[in-house]
Amino acid sequence: MSEVQRRKYSQEEKNSIFDGEFMPHIDSMYNFAYRLTFDEDDAKDLVQDTYLKAYRFINSFEQGTNAKAWLFRILKNSFINEYRRKSKQPAKVDYQEVETYYNSDDVDYQSTSDMRAESLKDMLGDEISNALNSLVVDFRTVIILCDLEGFTYEEMSKILDIPIGTVRSRLHRARNLLKEKLQGYAKHMGYKTDEEEE
Amino acid sequence: MDMNEESSEARKLKCGDTSKCFELLESILDGEMDNSKKVLTEKLAKCQPCFEHFHLEQAIRDLLKNKCTKHALPAELADSIRKQIQEIK
Repeated sequence: MSEVQRRKYSQEEKNSIFDGEFMPHIDSMYNFAYRLTFDEDDAKDLVQDTYLKAYRFINSFEQGTNAKAWLFRILKNSFINEYRRKSKQPAKVDYQEVETYYNSDDVDYQSTSDMRAESLKDMLGDEISNALNSLVVDFRTVIILCDLEGFTYEEMSKILDIPIGTVRSRLHRARNLLKEKLQGYAKHMGYKTDEEEE
Repeated sequence: MDMNEESSEARKLKCGDTSKCFELLESILDGEMDNSKKVLTEKLAKCQPCFEHFHLEQAIRDLLKNKCTKHALPAELADSIRKQIQEIK
């Protein structure tokens, strides 16, 4: 992802990189785009734009490096710059405010103390999906990148342009928020939680 | 790695620093800690809240991975991208 000017690829090399290293990630890219936009048409446009940009700037991609992370970074930036404005999401929450609010040990413990692994067993896909979708985009994004796509903290730090320490703490907070939502569903469905046992 | 041993008798019921411990457990689950096996075994054997948190986190990850990655790709998208690339070549 460095901005160093590389040698130019031949047409044949470009095709080979595009088909061999970029296109295999299209399922993950679409899943990411859909979870950012919540709209199939917007997700399609976002993935399409990302691939066109990737092709246009293919000379700045170093063959053999992590193509998936490179593509995800382009997609994330396109989303922020072009799609966030027109997507059907609520107005952007001041991220700093959210992060400061949840930067508290009380919230950490309260939100997780009365939920158990067993209560998740029977949860349907919709519940976890809705819980994930209800998180503000910055928290949702780190969970998607880490838990759904398996990126390392270092890769996430490059995709999101934030330090690794911030990746770690943002993930921790995002997961606590996700657990809070899941706990709400679990209670609603009558699954056992510690709170109800008392 | 079997982390399901039910030797909870020796476990303390309150964790001294949940925030720090939970963040550490999450880093281990994310594969971001070297030599994590020993730390993990020790922690889970000694601390009930850590034990529960670890299993909860693991269950949520499994659920996310199984239920949230299957949004079907529209059939025509890959072809449409290839076609547009042909046009700008």
